[in-house]
Amino acid sequence: MIIARDEIRDLYDAYYGVLDDVDLHAWPDFFTEDCLYRVIPRENHEAGYTLCTMQAESRGMLKDRVTGLTRTQMYAPRYYRRFPTAPRVTAQDEASVSVRHNLLVVQTLVDKQSDIILSAVCHDRIVRDGDRLRFVERVVVFDSEMIPNSLVYPA
Amino acid sequence: MNIPVRPPEGENRRAWPADVDAAVPYWVYTDPAIYAEELQKIWYAPHWLYVGLECELAEVGDWKTTTLGEKPCVMVRSGEDEISVVENRCAHKGVKFCQTRTGHSKELICPYHQWSYALNGDLQGVPFRRGVKRQGGMPSDFDPKDHSLNKLRVEVVNGVVWATFSDETPPFREYLGEKFWKHYTRVYDGRKLEVLGYNRQHIPANWKQMQENIKDPYHAGLLHVFFATFGLFRADQKSAVDIDDEGRHGILISRKGEQEKTEAMADIRNFQGDLVLEDPRVMDVVQEFPGEETVGMITIFPSVILQQQVNSLTTRQIVPKGPGGFDFHWTHWCYADDTPEMRLRRTRQANLFGPAGFVSADDGEVLEMTQQGAAGSPDEHFILQMGGREIAPTDHQVTETAVRGMYRYWRKVMGL
Repeated sequence: MIIARDEIRDLYDAYYGVLDDVDLHAWPDFFTEDCLYRVIPRENHEAGYTLCTMQAESRGMLKDRVTGLTRTQMYAPRYYRRFPTAPRVTAQDEASVSVRHNLLVVQTLVDKQSDIILSAVCHDRIVRDGDRLRFVERVVVFDSEMIPNSLVYPA
Repeated sequence: MNIPVRPPEGENRRAWPADVDAAVPYWVYTDPAIYAEELQKIWYAPHWLYVGLECELAEVGDWKTTTLGEKPCVMVRSGEDEISVVENRCAHKGVKFCQTRTGHSKELICPYHQWSYALNGDLQGVPFRRGVKRQGGMPSDFDPKDHSLNKLRVEVVNGVVWATFSDETPPFREYLGEKFWKHYTRVYDGRKLEVLGYNRQHIPANWKQMQENIKDPYHAGLLHVFFATFGLFRADQKSAVDIDDEGRHGILISRKGEQEKTEAMADIRNFQGDLVLEDPRVMDVVQEFPGEETVGMITIFPSVILQQQVNSLTTRQIVPKGPGGFDFHWTHWCYADDTPEMRLRRTRQANLFGPAGFVSADDGEVLEMTQQGAAGSPDEHFILQMGGREIAPTDHQVTETAVRGMYRYWRKVMGL
């Protein structure tokens, strides 16, 4: 599949922009209808376990995650800011492009010093879906051994 | 009028509220001296502590590190039918010699001076014990038998490994009591278990708060809007709270209902009757245990919560880290003979639990907020009057009886 590097960069700029701005309702649309989204501890990933800290198997489940965050969950107010490294294309075939990059997510709570909540590597697979690029798969594998209490917003 | 419970003079002066069973002072969450006593009188005393699952150690020589109380420990398969739990602290200089979470070796070796131990903790090798060219070496009265790793007593009970630091701890079944043996074996019924994965989080709240949280059904349908909305755990459902004779262990039992507005919902401000899941596969629940109950949340004092919430099965180990925080280790598991569909179902339902759980994240958050509120007012107290002042099993969940039971037992063992 022909996907230019600039397009990939634009996708990530838009994706992380939406998340940093907590525009949660815009987030699921970055994924194809059928997709796989995982935020998974490194130890699970390496052992071949599929159990995740956050998981969705469809855009619908991503929307449910947003519903949880906006309508049912209780959590202290916080800012998340994401620091991705530049995307590296690791494979390309007729259907998709595989991209890998590191990600640091920094959390700031009221009255607290900023904290690293995730130190991770993202294994993404991107496709052209209609008139835009979307993630068909995004697996965020985090090294962090002990999450500082809750992981609230997505990565 | 408060009752003095510590030496009434000096800076450690503490008092217990006169409403003894239904009020608890906040210093139980914050006082470093109390915390230090808890380690000695609870964690290193006659109580069984959760160590791990037997299935985590498949082969002889497999080991897994953990922390019991504040002590680093290793659980190791030391024989085909033997699991040992030893302190991860070399008898020579105290080195925590196993550093990875899991490993496999023929013996346990400390990297500092290469002291080596058999898998059961017996000291086997001390380099240069006899000296070199008749120089140095250990004195003639050095006996390796006196310098084993500290060995804990171990029981493996239907796939779960328990250990205790004390010689006085009664056998595990007796420790649970017959009622809780029945609750325990409802899920841990002797079938082989398998790990699905782990979650780990640090919750900045006193460790007892976690025990209280799962002994308190009152909050479940209120704080957890997700539970209430989708009928997983709600005040109007047929439910029960059971506690053991000592008051230290508890279980919350409930039965799933529907997403419906009932009379009881008037008190639940956040009930979201119109909320619909776009992809309800996360709520694809099947009844797998005998009886009509869909929830059995067991608290085994002091170290673990055994969760059966619909089809999600976990052990949640509590590792205290000072008065103001604890590490929370989740082991999500399934039965070894589960179908692929059942494994997928359990994995999906894990979205409700752990540090990002639709439900459990609420608990971590509210525990931290409780610690924040308590920290500045150690001599004020919280109240536990829901359901009255009795400490007895109930057939409803509008009660804090199991929390009262835990604190009565806690005062007894702490001598307060």
